[in-house]
Amino acid sequence: MTVETKLAPIRKGLLEFLVLKIVGARSVYVADILRRLAGTEFATQEGTLYPLLSKLRREDLVLYEWQESDAGPPRKYYRLTEAGKAQLAALDDYWNLINRTIADLGT
Amino acid sequence: MQRISVNVTLNRSTLQFDEAGFQRLEQYLADARRTLEGNPDRDEILADLEQAVADQCARRLAASATTVTLAELQPALEEIGPVQAPGPTLSAPGGASRPLRQISEGAVISGVCQGFARYFGLDVTLLRIAAVLLLFATGGGMILVYLALMLLMPYAPLVRGGQPLRKIPAKSRSFVEFIRAKLGVAAA
Repeated sequence: MTVETKLAPIRKGLLEFLVLKIVGARSVYVADILRRLAGTEFATQEGTLYPLLSKLRREDLVLYEWQESDAGPPRKYYRLTEAGKAQLAALDDYWNLINRTIADLGT
Repeated sequence: MQRISVNVTLNRSTLQFDEAGFQRLEQYLADARRTLEGNPDRDEILADLEQAVADQCARRLAASATTVTLAELQPALEEIGPVQAPGPTLSAPGGASRPLRQISEGAVISGVCQGFARYFGLDVTLLRIAAVLLLFATGGGMILVYLALMLLMPYAPLVRGGQPLRKIPAKSRSFVEFIRAKLGVAAA
């Protein structure tokens, strides 16, 4: 088992956190999120992203509004709700805690 | 005789597909529909995916061409990737718990089972089977329990600009709102 495959479930689980982070930075549509993650270890596809965004919307963490685009049909622009911002802050803190724990254990 | 091309309306766009392309597209969407079985947002996600396929194919179509073939569709579907249900995710301790609410989208009757499934993180099909078994076990008394839950459980907000509700969930939702208004209960 390579390091890559050992950490695959962790990468998968972190996707939601990273999507919240990207949406939290500024209002984005799906292609922006894909571009932001492309080339990182977290590169993903629309087939994964749309169900995830629907789940986040159902949990009241993100919301979207339709905006006209210059090319093609209107797009959904996503942003965080107040609950989404709170959750992102909590996840950020928790992630830092995990990082510190990992660093401490090696010493 | 062979059908040359099929007009397909994908969400807000209409494109022409040849027979092979059309069959591949149908297969992709059927797989997606199956993967999303029991997901209250299924219709919305399928609409998003249809639009993604339409955009990708239109972008790949040569300027002079009008019919989408496998040459355009196959790379488009590879870029979009198969539909994956969101898996378990990192959650911070003490995170906000999910409220217990009825979910009208994708409901069979009013969305009570979907609400419980979301709340407890269970498969909605299991809950529906349990509800039907209870209906028989209680000699129909379960109907009263369901009605009470329908009237008491708040509704989750509807998706803005989403797909219209199916007939029965729409009817039961307006029925519940009517009763709540009569009783002077603030409808959620």
